[in-house]
Amino acid sequence: MHDEANQQILLLLIILFPLGGAVVNGLLGRYMPKSLVTLVGVGSVAVSFGLAVTAFVELYGLAGPDVEHPALIYQFYEWFSIKLPRGQVVAINVRFLMDSLSGVMTLVVTGVGGLIHLYSIGYMGEDEGYPRFMSFLNLFMASMLILVLGSSLPVMFVGWEGVGLCSYLLIGFWYENRVYAAAGRKAFVVNRVGDFGVLIGMFILVGVAGSFEFTDINAAATGGQFRADFPFGILGVMPSLATVACVFLFLGCTGKSAQIPLYVWLPDAMAGPTPVSALIHAATMVTAGVYLCCRLSPLFITSDVAMAIIAVTGTTTALLAASIAVVQREMKKILAYSTVSQLGFMFAAVGVGFFAAGFFHVFTHAFFKACLFLGAGSVMHAVHAHGDADIFKLGGLKKILPITRWTFLASCLAIAGFPLTSGFFSKDEILLGAAAQIYRPDDALQHAVGWFTLIGLTLAAVMTAFYMFRLYFLTFTGDYRSADQLGDHPYDAHPHESPPSMTIPLIVLGLGALFAGFLGLPHLVPITGTHLPNWWMHWMESSVAGQPAPEEMHVVNLASGLAFGAMAVGISAAWLLYRNKSRDALAERMPKRLFQLAFDKWRVDELYGATIVNPIKQVATVAGRADMTFVDAIMTKLPSLNVREAGRIFSRLQNGVVQMYGAVMIVGVVAVLGFFWAPRSHIEATFEGKNVGLTTPPGLGYEYRWDANSDGEFETAWADAPETSFEYEKRDVRDVAVFIMNARSGVEKRIDVGKDWVRLPVEAVAPAATLRPDDVGFEVRVDGKDLVFRRPDPPTLLAGSKELRLPMGKDGRLGPARVFSRPVVEATVEVRNAFGNSRRATKEITLPFWLEDAPPHAALMSHGSEVVR
Amino acid sequence: MGVGTYLALAAVLFGIGAAGFLTRRNMLIQLMSIELMLNSVNVVLLAFNRVHSANHEGQVFAFFVIAVAAAEAAVGLAILVAYYRIKKTIDTDDARLLKY
Repeated sequence: MHDEANQQILLLLIILFPLGGAVVNGLLGRYMPKSLVTLVGVGSVAVSFGLAVTAFVELYGLAGPDVEHPALIYQFYEWFSIKLPRGQVVAINVRFLMDSLSGVMTLVVTGVGGLIHLYSIGYMGEDEGYPRFMSFLNLFMASMLILVLGSSLPVMFVGWEGVGLCSYLLIGFWYENRVYAAAGRKAFVVNRVGDFGVLIGMFILVGVAGSFEFTDINAAATGGQFRADFPFGILGVMPSLATVACVFLFLGCTGKSAQIPLYVWLPDAMAGPTPVSALIHAATMVTAGVYLCCRLSPLFITSDVAMAIIAVTGTTTALLAASIAVVQREMKKILAYSTVSQLGFMFAAVGVGFFAAGFFHVFTHAFFKACLFLGAGSVMHAVHAHGDADIFKLGGLKKILPITRWTFLASCLAIAGFPLTSGFFSKDEILLGAAAQIYRPDDALQHAVGWFTLIGLTLAAVMTAFYMFRLYFLTFTGDYRSADQLGDHPYDAHPHESPPSMTIPLIVLGLGALFAGFLGLPHLVPITGTHLPNWWMHWMESSVAGQPAPEEMHVVNLASGLAFGAMAVGISAAWLLYRNKSRDALAERMPKRLFQLAFDKWRVDELYGATIVNPIKQVATVAGRADMTFVDAIMTKLPSLNVREAGRIFSRLQNGVVQMYGAVMIVGVVAVLGFFWAPRSHIEATFEGKNVGLTTPPGLGYEYRWDANSDGEFETAWADAPETSFEYEKRDVRDVAVFIMNARSGVEKRIDVGKDWVRLPVEAVAPAATLRPDDVGFEVRVDGKDLVFRRPDPPTLLAGSKELRLPMGKDGRLGPARVFSRPVVEATVEVRNAFGNSRRATKEITLPFWLEDAPPHAALMSHGSEVVR
Repeated sequence: MGVGTYLALAAVLFGIGAAGFLTRRNMLIQLMSIELMLNSVNVVLLAFNRVHSANHEGQVFAFFVIAVAAAEAAVGLAILVAYYRIKKTIDTDDARLLKY
């Protein structure tokens, strides 16, 4: 805000290019040749990526040991402002911020996004909705960049909702298919539940920190402002403000990032085109929740309870989703559950305080999961599978699709955590975080969470390696099972490798999956104990808080051993069971009912259907019926009845007899004449300085003359203008009005004062909460030119019992209330109409200033000098 | 005599005309009532012309009214005759086609 001079317009341009692409393709795409659509759609993202790289280089140049929080800022404009209950005004600025965290995320979004746009040329080029697809994809990029670059919660929330909208639009891209459209709706509705959590969390944060800016909230969290108890307890527990805020924010994260309990939309989201699954439902959007947690990491680490909830939820999700992925038969479905599971890993890392490690997994996951989805898309493209591909009808594709095969294998190795691939380094860091928790015996909660997380994640890692290589072996090894065109709905007998626009992104992402991990080399190498420079952790330090990396060798060895062991066990099992095989060897060995249960995704959808969806539907049915019978009866049937009956009555007047019409006309003419016979008038006063403007409503043919001080002499002659202005003098004053203004409510109340004592109701003086039941307030009377106040017996809470004098015209204070007197004058106007009839109107006007005090309104602004207490 | 007397006369004539138009069912009488109302207006015009005697606009207007009234009477009587030929009556209670 203060560094206006250092505006970085780049940040705005990064967002505007994809947004412009979305607008152009969305409005004009239908009329443009396909090549132009491609140029706009892919070109805008490519430019955006170039700008992001430029900005990142600049940011990298800023970073140094003496810069505490290197960041690029662009303040666009003030969007709106809100007023907090305590009176503070919070401005909400459209402001963008690129620091070490959002910088990396911007690169991932534009980079991976650009590759997926490129891939879409080949994958979606034949679809008749291609311009619409490109437009939605660009809109998604713009929203995601707003989410990432927004410097405050409301701006981030715009992006948050924007990506949700694009997700909905793209899942239901083939909206003619009812199942796909329903999947889009499900994603949208489930995300609404989470968004509600984000909103509540946001309100708590602004209520405490007094700002929506991430930096301010984090500073407030570091300053301990969130340690106070939440105003009301839950089941007898008094959580801290931080806990409640974090839990609500995390609810939002579970929606967007597909965690228990709101993960159910993501597997269905695979109804969308495969590039969408890769971009939105694997690489970028679903990691928004992790991003939010990292963004607010200083807040999250202040609440042990919220962190424990996040760690346990993440671990449980990782396990549950992996267990489902192990038995599925369709490529994208397996990858979808894998995504849910990997997101669980990321949240587990966040929950144990290893935010940077969690975000490192976001980074590496973007490469290998995008590559896996695009590989799956390449396979489906090759065999002409629609919607999804059954791996038991595939096989042996390694000879036919060599590029797809090798990139897919690279990504499988990465996600399984094969040594020196990207997933190996990031998963290792997460397990290291969980292991470090175990060795913090001073805290029982963290200790327990550490054990649960470490064991859970290790099991999930075993399953990850297993299901990924099950998928790989069944798809790429053995014989092509659709070659003989036997069985149900076999795929194309003669598949072909995909075009270069699809294979280039695969190769780039595959290389990323293999080598991106070297950015985050372990700080401490297991067994040898060598120290390595961890660029990632160092870079993230400036914007992400977290627990320090453990220095003990046994912790590092434990984590690495578990990670390596899990990978080895998983891959070996898959090798034995599925290499060059065509049958589901695991399913045959499992108890049939257990397999069926896992294959049915543990029937969670059915559980939600029975416990939440159906009850709501039943309520909706009842409400709908009530609407149709009860509400409609009042709101539509009753008015229509009125209109019909009124029409029946009045239609009798229209009887076709000329004389009736004539009679109605004469009655009307007489009524109008009667209405205009006498003029009407009343006076309104406006104040401008000492000048009082007097107006009366105008009328046709009216003339006016004014006696502004009502002394019987008209100051103006008859004139057509319905207004005049007058400056009152002291001799015009007819009366003095005394007002009392309640300090709390600001309500002014006129009181009648006379020679005798008048009781002032005590409620007019002081806030009710400060009163004692026996407090009877004040009495007041006029004595000569003074107002006299006294306390009646008994002496009360408000101090002072003797009489107090307030000269007329002076302002005074009565406890917390203000007392003031104002002169009252009287204005008269005479109005004459064309019939020659005239009418007078007079009005008492209370002047808003005391006549002797020269500056107008000064008396209202300043507190009086006389203090009555 | 002041202008008020003439205006009172005109008001009485107009009232009689209006009442006759509204209450009588004979079309011929109704036409006569309309004439009465028109002539009451003429009285008003002439009375004010006497007050503002510098010009003769009021008298000119009265001639116009007489001319229009003559035309109106001619058209009205023609309609009446035509109506009688169709309905064999000149009672307005039978003339209700306006409703449809």
